[in-house]
Amino acid sequence: MKKKYAMAYIVDRCVDCKACMVACKAEWEVPEDKFRTHIDTGVSPDYTDTMRMHFLPHQCNHCDDAPCVTVCPTKASYKREDGIVSVNQKICVGCKYCIVSCPYDARFFNHELGVAEKCTFCLPRIAEGLAPACVTTCPGNVRVFGDINDPNSEISALLRDAATNHYKVWKLRQDLGTRPNIYYIQK
Amino acid sequence: MVFQEAFEWYIAVYLFLAGVGAGAIVAAVLADMYDREKYLSFIKAASVIGMPLVSIGIFFLYIDLGQGMWKPWLLLLLFVNPTSAISWGTGILTLFTIFSMLYAVYNLGLSRYFRFAGGWLPRLLDGMGGSGWMRWMLVITGICTAGYTAVLLGVLRAIPFWHQTALPILFIISATSTGISGAMIVRELAFRTEDSMHKIETTHFYLIVLEILLLAGMFFIAMQGVPEMQFSAKSLLNGRFAIEFWVVLVFLGLLVPAVVFALGESGRLHLKGGKLIFFEALVLLGGYFLRFLIVHAGVYTQKFTDYIQ
Repeated sequence: MKKKYAMAYIVDRCVDCKACMVACKAEWEVPEDKFRTHIDTGVSPDYTDTMRMHFLPHQCNHCDDAPCVTVCPTKASYKREDGIVSVNQKICVGCKYCIVSCPYDARFFNHELGVAEKCTFCLPRIAEGLAPACVTTCPGNVRVFGDINDPNSEISALLRDAATNHYKVWKLRQDLGTRPNIYYIQK
Repeated sequence: MVFQEAFEWYIAVYLFLAGVGAGAIVAAVLADMYDREKYLSFIKAASVIGMPLVSIGIFFLYIDLGQGMWKPWLLLLLFVNPTSAISWGTGILTLFTIFSMLYAVYNLGLSRYFRFAGGWLPRLLDGMGGSGWMRWMLVITGICTAGYTAVLLGVLRAIPFWHQTALPILFIISATSTGISGAMIVRELAFRTEDSMHKIETTHFYLIVLEILLLAGMFFIAMQGVPEMQFSAKSLLNGRFAIEFWVVLVFLGLLVPAVVFALGESGRLHLKGGKLIFFEALVLLGGYFLRFLIVHAGVYTQKFTDYIQ
């Protein structure tokens, strides 16, 4: 069976330390003011005594039906066999259409290279059998990465465990039909 | 809410100029089909601006590309993805540019400059530029060019304010209106005759009225739309873009021309010379700001709607 890489965030563990953002920045030489992964902060919508602040990591969702792949005129953005959405920088013309097409605002324009950029699940690292930099670095073990087609992988076990224990599991904006591959889990 | 920042004023200029060029040619071809003799001055004026403005618009798109300058051969790849609206647009604009160039050569009598190849080349150019099928191809590709400038934005699910069917209709109407304005200015400056342009002026007035109604309808609907759409609409109505929206687009770009052209329709005002150019220029200003504001008011879908309770 083909590999299908995905990531899960156990969101209640995130403390907004931004170590993932720093690790990603150290791994990839992105322009000074840009990041491939972010931590978004939000407040529970119920403005009551139980109001809480939440920290939600996000990055490219490596969608199965990725709008960026659909709209890229040169086919520089493409979906790999292993489920990763990648950008071939050699043929990216820098039209920025993929950036405005992404419902997750996960892409940015690299002015130094003149191309669109985003998270690649640290392709060179996973080729060597390592986890992505953000996963390795996260002190709270928020991020779990792996092959969801492999029943023995850590992410498959986590999703099974979440189903068994009725944890809340969701993905971002599934109503848009993009079929994203980042799972949010709240225990 | 997050405003998109990838598409800037360069893109707005491209959408605007492609619209003016295409709109001018569509209006000219329709006038050509109706009564070529009477509207020849208008047709010539539109031919002067049609293809050049679309080309300048494409140049703005080109300089906005991250790698267009360094790797121009990548432009050939713009045709390769049949699912990309940019690929559709590249094809449409290429066809329209070629057709409108041939039409301009025919209308402006430029074929005589091609005699160096013998008499056959001018005859071929005039034969193509003046043919009936060329007129139909120009109407089709011209409307497609004007509509495409909105489809480019409209196909994106990520930005609800752009993702609406009204946008191509609005842009086609606006393109025809600004195209008529552009051609009328050039006609006044270079091709002025005593022929009455009354039917074109009447059409122009109704196009502006239609644009006002369509824009109003869009806002009534947007205000009842998803939160991101409401946010975009509010940013124009009373938010960060309100001054440009109300003063430049609504008042100067739509209401003032509408009132002035209405007075012209009722026979109380006869515009010509500098005054005509001024009010037609206001329509162009409104046309640019319409695109500038819609591009900049684009807001991404909120990511965290399924928020933790």
